[in-house]
Amino acid sequence: MLTKLVSMDRRIVFILVALAVIVPMLLHVSLPVSTSEPTQKLYDFVEALPAGSTIMLAFDYGPSSFPELSPMAKALLKQCFDKDIGVIAITLVVDGTTLASTLLEEVAEEKDAVNGEDFVFLGFRPGATQVILGMGTEIKSVFETDYYGKKLDEIPMMKNITNYDQIDILVDLASSNTTEAWIIYANVQYNLKIAAGVTGVMVSQMFPYLQTGQLKGLMSGILGAAEYEDLVGVPGKGKQYINVNSFVHLLIVLLVVIGNIAYFIQREREE
Amino acid sequence: MKRLVPLVLCFIFGIVMIITQFSPHPYSKRVYEEVVSGALIISPFALVLATITLIQTHATRIRRRADHWPYSYIVFAGLITMVIIGVPLGPKDPVFEWLYNNVQVPMDATMFSLLAFFIASAAYRAFRARTTEATLLLVTALIVMLGNVPVGDLIWNTIMSWTPWADQASAAREWVLDNPNLSARRGIILGVSLGVISQSVRIILGIERSYLGGGD
Amino acid sequence: MEVFGIWVAAFLTLCIYSFLYRDNPLYRFAEHLFVGISVGYGIVLSIHEGFIPLAWNPIWASLTGESLAGLWKLIPIAFGLLFFARLSPRHTWLIRYPIAILIGFGAGIAIPNMLRANIFEQTRGTVAPFGAIYAGTLTPWEIFGAILMVVGVVCTLTYFYFSVEHRGPVKWLSKIGICFLMIGFGSAFGNTVMGRVTLLIQRVDFLLIDWLGSIGALF
Repeated sequence: MLTKLVSMDRRIVFILVALAVIVPMLLHVSLPVSTSEPTQKLYDFVEALPAGSTIMLAFDYGPSSFPELSPMAKALLKQCFDKDIGVIAITLVVDGTTLASTLLEEVAEEKDAVNGEDFVFLGFRPGATQVILGMGTEIKSVFETDYYGKKLDEIPMMKNITNYDQIDILVDLASSNTTEAWIIYANVQYNLKIAAGVTGVMVSQMFPYLQTGQLKGLMSGILGAAEYEDLVGVPGKGKQYINVNSFVHLLIVLLVVIGNIAYFIQREREE
Repeated sequence: MKRLVPLVLCFIFGIVMIITQFSPHPYSKRVYEEVVSGALIISPFALVLATITLIQTHATRIRRRADHWPYSYIVFAGLITMVIIGVPLGPKDPVFEWLYNNVQVPMDATMFSLLAFFIASAAYRAFRARTTEATLLLVTALIVMLGNVPVGDLIWNTIMSWTPWADQASAAREWVLDNPNLSARRGIILGVSLGVISQSVRIILGIERSYLGGGD
Repeated sequence: MEVFGIWVAAFLTLCIYSFLYRDNPLYRFAEHLFVGISVGYGIVLSIHEGFIPLAWNPIWASLTGESLAGLWKLIPIAFGLLFFARLSPRHTWLIRYPIAILIGFGAGIAIPNMLRANIFEQTRGTVAPFGAIYAGTLTPWEIFGAILMVVGVVCTLTYFYFSVEHRGPVKWLSKIGICFLMIGFGSAFGNTVMGRVTLLIQRVDFLLIDWLGSIGALF
């Protein structure tokens, strides 16, 4: 029995994982989420910005991580549009371009935000370091037009914006090491304030930058997205997915505990 | 010509970037801006290298009839379809966007989601508290996992209700991330950064030449 | 077209999930299609969002007399074009020129900025809490955390220090460093689980709600 349990076919584990996702999703389970300090810090920073401020939002992720980061982007955009904060969006990741433009258009339509007045999407340029450094001197030297081909000089929102000096904070939604690049080049070289929303894989490595204040705030994976949705008051996919996550996490914890109990009993018997 | 010129170019650009960052002189600033702008222009061409390598790899597979070689035609079909539609019509073309949204996005997301199954299976079969180090790793992972999800709070509160640490599942996770995890990560950041800096100095001085590849 | 798109996406999603049973032609089809489509997308974006605005437009502007500044950009463009030397085995060595420029640029820009962001700032962050301890503004628990942080950083760095043999006190410091690293990796594992499971939840959400929902809409 014990041997069977230890050497259980991995496909049985796969079925259990699938069920742990499907069942709670159909049951629409909803549990309360408490807000962590790094998420609260980011929310407070944006909330304290006066109307007419500008934030830069970097969609530095592609399709492989959009389920974690798109809910963050939506909640943050809704907060900015509600508070009349201008958003300059860009991406340093090539396969995030269409994803970013679609998401912006979707939220803008929902919030009646106007392209060119409430937000601008500059698009993508290759060479992350060069793009970050180039915009520090002059945004126009890297992006002469926005993603839709309109010259920056003709965009009302960009009238008084030359470089990072006119931007209050950059929020990097990242699935790779772009956040470090923003810190190393934009923060050190041009004093641009940085905050981030990152995938679960990257959460642990962001904490040294939070403690030094190089990061003003942090949304940690889908948990951060759910927390931010709660703070802004717009429950969405973040809240839904973190609740379903509960059951898969529970299953994995149980599997680890059972696996270890079986292992120790087996080892005892062998000795 | 083949090795000396690249080494000289690398040295000049490296030194120029270091000096111009420290000098506030207008000429220095101008040079800095021009070099950044020049490097920005070279960047898109680097894709040529990746594309040619991919095409050569799959063309060779077809020519040599390697394992599963017919699938290389599918690689070419996907690539050519995107290029034929996207290059003349642009990335905002509805058909190009349709292909991205309904072919690339679901496949990319699904490919990475497969790992959820394999993580669960590996956790069950291999995540054992065999040694002190492995136990630390396991216990930390469990604390973080439970702290990451709302149900973790429920379980923690049930188990810890008789202790002063009730209602602290998320706090325990945050403490782990903010203290021992932070120390380990900071050690790694310091170590890696010192490595990158010393390697950069070696590259600029021409001591490290592996980027030139083999041959004369 | 929207429903057709959902069905295509669902078919490809299921093709990839079929790998969970075992490797099969449907999975291999989707895998190779994914590579082709992704690279194709990258090429198109690099041309339209990279080559055209950064290289072609300035040259065109100078050719038409709109702005002669574009001529200056012919130099980096010429270096960029050397990447095409990869096509000729006899001239492949020419790609060393643009690579050398990019590597030299990257190395030069990294040294001062990385020193400030990752060495000075991180060291400051490690010792800064001791100022607060001296000022008496920290609780005993926070003081414990500050001391633990210094111990952790020093021990982790000791583990990565290979210039001396790990014997005696160095061995013990390095062993403590391993413990901190294990906690770091454990927390990374816990967070990775959250990330990967979220991707799975999104795909199941798509299959259950969008795809099965579209079947319901058909009837």
